[in-house]
Amino acid sequence: METLATVIGVVHIAAAIALLNGVTTTFGQAKIAAQAIESIARQPEAADSIRSAMFVGLAMAETSGIYGLLIAIIMLFANPLINTLVSLLN
Amino acid sequence: MDLSVKNLWVLQIAGVEVWITETIFNTWLIMLFLIGLAVIARIKLRKFKTIPTGFQNVIEAVVEIFDHFASSTLGEKLAYIAPWFFMVFMFILSSSLSSVFGLRAPTADWITTFALAFATFTLMLAMGFKHRKGDYLKSFFSPHPIFFPLNLLGELAKPVSLSFRLFGNMLSGTIILTLYYALTPVFVQIGIPVLLHAFFDVVFGALQTYIFVILSLMYIRGAAE
Repeated sequence: METLATVIGVVHIAAAIALLNGVTTTFGQAKIAAQAIESIARQPEAADSIRSAMFVGLAMAETSGIYGLLIAIIMLFANPLINTLVSLLN
Repeated sequence: MDLSVKNLWVLQIAGVEVWITETIFNTWLIMLFLIGLAVIARIKLRKFKTIPTGFQNVIEAVVEIFDHFASSTLGEKLAYIAPWFFMVFMFILSSSLSSVFGLRAPTADWITTFALAFATFTLMLAMGFKHRKGDYLKSFFSPHPIFFPLNLLGELAKPVSLSFRLFGNMLSGTIILTLYYALTPVFVQIGIPVLLHAFFDVVFGALQTYIFVILSLMYIRGAAE
């Protein structure tokens, strides 16, 4: 039982670490948004094309953050390790 | 608090168990709604006039805006696949809006998003072979044949990243709303969730729909030109 508790605790810490990549993702997205706003301010007539390029860039930068979220979710709710451990302990 | 996709019924068809999950049921509900809308538009189409008013105005505006968007992203030559992406757009948008009405969004299940992304992937390969024939096959070996495994991995990563992006966004909204409903007392569950729904379902749903469609169109243009 103690082993299981330790494993579950470590899994929660690991999920928190996996979500830390949100920091770098946010920095990347902030850079994209800042550059887009700067170029819209410099050239307002090109705002439409800049905006659509900005959304695509944001989506691309978001991918790594989403992967981190999915890894965290899989570790918390569908962890194969915990299931194996439970079946071993019984 | 239950985040998993619930199983509603188990059907026995010729000795094979067919599981009707919440996702399948909600997908059919949304399809019914969209088909009903299409049938109404088709019946009204007979009475359409040269100068549009009311319902006709809305339908024409929506179709024209999407056609313009598709042909400016794809180029005039490839714009004939726009109707398929209009369907994908309407389906993803209405399925992310369906969680406002208390349904579990079908796009918060990886099966749905992977099916849509796999359709994009198949269409990308088909359009590439149709418009560029041998050149498309050659582009997999482009700088040097040594790069073939890398190019193949890059192509295979496209449907995976496309499906996970939509799935992750919709699932995060579902999780946050489920946590909110499970953890707060009843008297804050009236009114305040409207803001959360507006942010996570309407705004994120519309944005991710737009991004899914525009990325699919860009992949297809990259393969076919």
